[in-house]
Amino acid sequence: MTAPATRPSAPTRPTGRNWGAIAAIIKKDLTAVRRSKAVMIPMLAVPVLLLVILPLLIGLAARAQTGDMSSFLASIPDGLSEPILALPAEEQLIVLVNGYLLAPLFLIVPLMVSAVLAADAFAGEKERRTMETLLHLPIENRDLFIAKLLGAFLPAVAVSWVGFLCFCVVANTVAWPVMGRIFVPNSLWLVMILWVAPAVATLGLGVMVRVSVRARSTQEANQLGGAVVLPLIFLAVGQSTGLLLLDLPVALAIGAVIWVLALALTIRGARRFTRDQLATRI
Amino acid sequence: MTDVADRAPRSSPSGEPAISAWGLTRAFPSGLALDALDLEVYPGEVLALLGPNGAGKTTTVRLLNGVLAPDAGSSRVLGLDPATEGHELRHRTGVLTENAGLDDRLTARENLETTARIRGFDRRTARQRTDELLERFALTERADIAVQGASTGQRKRLALIRALLHEPEVLFLDEPTSGLDPAATRDVIALIGALASEHGRTIVLCTHFLGEAGRLADRVAVLHRGRLQVAGRPAEIAAQMWTGLPVEVDLGGPAPEAVVEAARSAAGVRTADATPAGIHVEVGGRDHLPDVVSALVGAGAAVFAVTPRPPTLEDIYFEIEARIAAEEGRPVGATS
Repeated sequence: MTAPATRPSAPTRPTGRNWGAIAAIIKKDLTAVRRSKAVMIPMLAVPVLLLVILPLLIGLAARAQTGDMSSFLASIPDGLSEPILALPAEEQLIVLVNGYLLAPLFLIVPLMVSAVLAADAFAGEKERRTMETLLHLPIENRDLFIAKLLGAFLPAVAVSWVGFLCFCVVANTVAWPVMGRIFVPNSLWLVMILWVAPAVATLGLGVMVRVSVRARSTQEANQLGGAVVLPLIFLAVGQSTGLLLLDLPVALAIGAVIWVLALALTIRGARRFTRDQLATRI
Repeated sequence: MTDVADRAPRSSPSGEPAISAWGLTRAFPSGLALDALDLEVYPGEVLALLGPNGAGKTTTVRLLNGVLAPDAGSSRVLGLDPATEGHELRHRTGVLTENAGLDDRLTARENLETTARIRGFDRRTARQRTDELLERFALTERADIAVQGASTGQRKRLALIRALLHEPEVLFLDEPTSGLDPAATRDVIALIGALASEHGRTIVLCTHFLGEAGRLADRVAVLHRGRLQVAGRPAEIAAQMWTGLPVEVDLGGPAPEAVVEAARSAAGVRTADATPAGIHVEVGGRDHLPDVVSALVGAGAAVFAVTPRPPTLEDIYFEIEARIAAEEGRPVGATS
């Protein structure tokens, strides 16, 4: 073993955001996550369950159903039930579940994916004892933060959108014999996908960034950050029981509130994301 | 074990120091980690930072590379202030952390190329540089295998490659041989020696392995609970601590009390104690050795060998520990 003799050509030192370094960290994190079954299995199981298996079962149930949905629909608010009651009886179950009730539940997907990836990216680096190595490299605090953020946000949105495409294909295909037309996406779904889902992904990130500063392991971060899923469960329960009618204006408003919360959390997290803070808690 | 006087210094302190620290202090909620550290390391020099766990060695590296900010004091590394110019500085330094810090889920090549890309290498140069170093460090066969299965020695070598990718001017090595088997330790020590002597690189070596420090370091600095106890060339430190010359005399067995007394009465002898092989004496200088031998022979002892034994780094280190323990009023070796 001999010492290296040649000095490599001087690397370029970009000014402003160092997108090369940011891309390298995102690539590293995603490659590592892709190879981790412990991260991948839960991250993909929920979208598959919610966006493929559930609409499949609902579609098959609707094709076989003989019961009348009108008594159930009469118990939920008029704003939601009236357009569904106007549909033929055999379409009502499919439109109710796949068109409306699943929409808030779907938000678990971007939230969970972003939270799992953020916990791996922030707390996971500490757990694997790789954080100190990163801190000794010439990357600005802000660039490191952006890399970690994008490394969780982009896959969360991508999984949500790809999952939604799968949902549309499965829901429309299975229900075709009953519906005879494409019924999702409707306007509520489009707002969920394009406006609320990215906001929820950012919220998951914001919470995990805060939690991960203190947590020393991914598991600890997930436990501390797990409470963030509660408002979504409330949203889903509210929608299904009629306590909260998630129609288009409400969805837009909820999305705006989540964006404000998510950005506030993320910006505060960014301010505290310094080498000194991170190195102190390694 | 390396005598402190038997190796020529690798470099002489000259010109501007590559690293200077003045009153560098840092506390954590758990207590003071570094207390008013003053330090100078000259270009091309290997400085060993010695001390037990918790002495402040890693904190020193983090402060000098701009990862931590000092509570008080300041420092300059390669003319830059780590507290305010850390980003620029880290382009010119390389760090081997105590834990290799490799992502187990990535291959060796992926780990190295990620670092190269963060350091600003374009994709092609990153690949070339990685391949070149993997080959030079005999790790090519591991290049595309996940790090998970690598041995501790291979991990250390990979981490060392990562620290060297950009040919840093200053290298911080935090416990480079911890966890290594003897063969891997020998290889890593040889490599560090080559890095210092062949390329004139400034190296700060944090270790609690004194043999390693003795073989590699031009100067040593001993830290204890965040305070610098002593710094300098080992021979100079030894000269400050002991004015005499320790000598081992082989008598073929423990010296009887009468022989020990005869040695004590010889000119220039400061101390004399029986050892399993004979007698250990401390004399004022080499000139007194014939008198010691005459006294021993006169007392009826058969002298098989007389071996001056200048203090080793171990002697220095444990003497410092003993003096600290005495100051603190606790037994030597007890945790303070």
